[in-house]
Order: sequence, then structure tokens, then C-alpha cells
Amino acid sequence: MSRNARTALVLATVALAFFLGIIAKFWLMGR
Amino acid sequence: MSAVVDTHGHGHDHGHEHHDHHGGYSGVMRWITTTNHKDIGTLYLWFAGIMFFAGGMMALVIRAELFEPGLQLVNPDFFNQMTTMHGLIMIFGAIMPAFVGFANWQIPMMIGAPDMAFARLNNWSFWLLPFAATLLMLSFFTPGGAPGTGWTLYAPLTVQQGIGMDFTIFAVHILGMSSILGSINIITTILNMRAPGMTLMKMPMFCWTWLITAYLLVAVMPVLAGAVTMTLTDRHFGTTFFNAAGGGDPVLYQHIFWFFGHPEVYVIALPAFGVISQVIPAFSRKPLFGYASMVYATAAIAILSFIVWAHHMYTVGMPVTGQLFFMYATTLIAVPTGVKVFNWVSTMWKGSLSFETPMLFAIGFLFLFTLGGFTGLVLSLVPIDIQLQDTYYVVAHFHYVMVAGAMFSAFAGIYFWLPKWTGKMYNETLGQWHFWLTLIFFNMIFFVQHFLGMAGMPRRIPDYPLMFETWNKISSIGAFGFAVSQLLFLYNLFTTLKSGAQAPQMPWEGADSLDWTHLPTPVPYHTWETPPVLK
Repeated sequence: MSRNARTALVLATVALAFFLGIIAKFWLMGR
Repeated sequence: MSAVVDTHGHGHDHGHEHHDHHGGYSGVMRWITTTNHKDIGTLYLWFAGIMFFAGGMMALVIRAELFEPGLQLVNPDFFNQMTTMHGLIMIFGAIMPAFVGFANWQIPMMIGAPDMAFARLNNWSFWLLPFAATLLMLSFFTPGGAPGTGWTLYAPLTVQQGIGMDFTIFAVHILGMSSILGSINIITTILNMRAPGMTLMKMPMFCWTWLITAYLLVAVMPVLAGAVTMTLTDRHFGTTFFNAAGGGDPVLYQHIFWFFGHPEVYVIALPAFGVISQVIPAFSRKPLFGYASMVYATAAIAILSFIVWAHHMYTVGMPVTGQLFFMYATTLIAVPTGVKVFNWVSTMWKGSLSFETPMLFAIGFLFLFTLGGFTGLVLSLVPIDIQLQDTYYVVAHFHYVMVAGAMFSAFAGIYFWLPKWTGKMYNETLGQWHFWLTLIFFNMIFFVQHFLGMAGMPRRIPDYPLMFETWNKISSIGAFGFAVSQLLFLYNLFTTLKSGAQAPQMPWEGADSLDWTHLPTPVPYHTWETPPVLK
């Protein structure tokens, strides 16, 4: 995997984690 | 900060020795299929321009309705739709894409990279935007019309809106996806594709501000996407995240939204700072004062932006300790911002100044953005904000930041880089007229809104008591004057592109980034196919 692809993968993972994390926090763990 | 190109090595001026073709297609297909960062930068800028005029028309509807008390032109429902769509279009459709356009054009040229790291992804990032904008506009034609919630899309009103709200939610998803993909591209390009010797601390400030902005976007756009997704499931799938009737909490939405929303202010402001940091040194004929402190101040602003979100919600009912925390954290942002203003002024100090149009817009930015920052400081103070919450004082404040800040900076950038991009010089006299008229009419619209706000006029209302009439009339006349002034810009732009005088190789003798010093004017279609080697 190229260095560019690795960087992009890390960043995309962070973005996805924030998106799913914010929903999961208030859905699964209550408010 | 400039870098010195090693002219003895293999890296000297490869900008114009290679083929200059525009890829395999011509006409419309060239623009649809292009993977060239300059083409895509141009697409972003044209898109932003079109959205700027669409959002501007909505502003004129708002100001025409507010010209005098009573309901004249539109019904209150449509008025609310106008304020909502004006905000969404200007922020997501005009200002953000404009600065992504600058980033696409400038970052590869400034760091010695041949293109963006992911050229095809770059194409996709742009072409998502017209679909999102179409969705947003289509919401006007749905039953119930476009959302009338304000650009913040607060619950529980969003749960009660018609299908136009769903269009808007999907548009926000697509816009967010475009921003995230664009940001990943920018970060990867800057981190991995700098020319040999172009260390991070040698990069022009514009690249630094965009690197930090892109990190902000990767962190906060998914949070907005999460918030509107929860709104969507509340509307259609039986959840009650924000619906008090089902045990949810509308204030929760505000917290999540502003966790995105305040960093978003800096997503808009930081690239604007970057443009100003290129323009002021060029027209002061001096290097940027305090380069390292500018970098650290930019990073400090970005970090602080994550811990100030609830200053937008002092009045929702929060503990005094919470109010105090957010008040102190917010006032703290004035420190790195003050560092930046100090450095810009110090760059000009004892410089060999000249006042061409880009510099005029930069100085206009400096005065007016600082004023907007100052009223932001006023609003950060809890006892004052509780009086001014949701008044025209807030409207005046954020337009000083968004228009006199971001838009003045965008104009400075366009006038500054247009000769480099096109090889044509704009008409300087028309440019100066554009600046002065924009400056005068901008203040005519928004300075008086401070008075309206302090007198208690609430925002987002189509009607008002007689006592507010005079300042509203002045503001509305200013709005139409502002709009006419922008036609001057359009005329100047089109005549420059069609028949502008040829630009000299170095129209601005103080500009010192790689694109100016080592690439020809106009810049060729492909640049830095062999990276320059910098000492």
C-alpha cells in the first residue's frame, strides 16, 4: 500500500469513527 | 516563508518544458472528466461564484422585505426559508468551495507537487457539489417548501418540517462527504508530496492554514453528518434523539451542532487568514512577520475551537460553571487571533507598501474582521450575550466575520492570483472601485445592524416595530448597493478573461512563493512534473 493510501485510510477511519461514534454514543449509551 | 530552489540540480523550472494539453477530452467533457488540480480549482471557484449570486439574491429578498415594517413581498414562511437557504448556500456552497478552489490551484504549485495526491478523488469531490446544490434548491418545490429552521437546522422544528427537510439533510450529507474527501486529499498532498527540501516550516502560510483547516474538517464534518442523520431517523424511523415527547432532548442537537458549528467558523476563517498572509507580505515587500508564531497561533485557534461550542447556547439553561468555562475558553481565542493581527500589522510596518486591489481588500479585511472579532468577544461574555442572543447584533457580528472576513479575503485572493492563473491583468481602476463600493455598502448594511440588535430587534423575523424602521431602510439600501457593486466585479472578471492586458511575469514584485518565483505566467497546465529541489 502506498504512503498516500495509508494516510488517506487513517484519515477516512477517523472521519468514519466520528460519524458512527456520535450516533452510537446517543443511541446505545443513552443520553 | 520562501524557499530557495537549487538551480544547479535537476529541479529548476520544469513548469513549461512539458506538453500543455488538457487531457483526452475537450469542451464540457474536459471539465467533467478532468483530474487536473488547476481545472478542478477553476470549477470550485465558478461553482462558488454561482452560489454566491444565488445566496445573494436570497439576501436581497430578505432585505427587500425588511425595507419597511409590515409584510410586503413574501409570507413569513417563505421569509424563513430564505434566511435558512441563504445561510446554507453561502456557507456550504459559496465560501467553503471558494477556498477549496484556492487550495486546489495553489497548494500543489506552492509546495512543488505535480498535482493533488488523489486526482480522481479530487474530481469526484467537486462533482458531488452540484448534486448537493440541486437537492437544496429542489427543496423549494416540495410540499411545504424548503426548511424554514435557520441554517442551524435546530430540533424540534426540523422534525416537523416537510419533505424539503429530507432533501436538505441529504444535501448536507453530500456536501459533508465532498468536504471530507477534499480534506483527506489536501492533508495527504501536503504531508506526502512536498518537494525535496520543502519542510513544513518552509511552506507558505496559505498551505499551513489549509493543512490545519483540513484536519478540522475531518474531525467536525462527520459530527454534523451524525446530527442530521439522527434528525432523519427521528423524522422517519421512530427514534427520539431530539424529541422530548419520546424522552429525547432538543438541546442535545444544539450541543452536537455547535460542536461542529464553531470549528466550522474557523474552517472558513483560517483559509481566509492564509490568503491574507500571502497578500500582505507581497504588497509590503517584506517577509511575513513572525512566521512561526503564525503557524502556532493557527494551530492554537483550531484546538481552542473544539472547547467553546456552548457559547452559542448560553440561554438554553446551563449551570453558571458551564457558562464561565465556555466564556473564559472563548475569550482565550482572542490571544492567538491577536497574534495574527499583530503579525499582519507588523509585516506592513516600515514596509514598502503599495495599494493595489488585492492589498486594499486585505487591509479592508484587517480592519473589518478585527471589528467582527471584537464584537465576538463582546458576545462571548455571558451577561451581555444573554441580552443580545438572537438579535441583529449577532447578525452584524457574524457578517463582519463571514463577509468582511472570508469574502474580502476571497476577493483579495482572486485579484492576487488571477494574473498568475490566466496571464491576464484585471482593470485596476475597476478593481479599486469594486473595493471601495463594497466596503462602503458592506458597512451600510451591517454596521447599523449593531444598533438594531442593541435596541432589541430579533433576527429571523419578516416584520418589526416602527422604531426599527430607519436603520432597516439604511441596511436594505446598502444591500442593493452591495449587489450592484458585485456586478462591477463580474464585469471586470469577464472583460479580463476575454480581453485583459497581458500580465507581466511578476505582476507583484513582493510575492515570494514558488508559484510566483519559479513558474511562468500564465502558469502552464502541468507544473512540477519533476519536483524542484529546495535548499
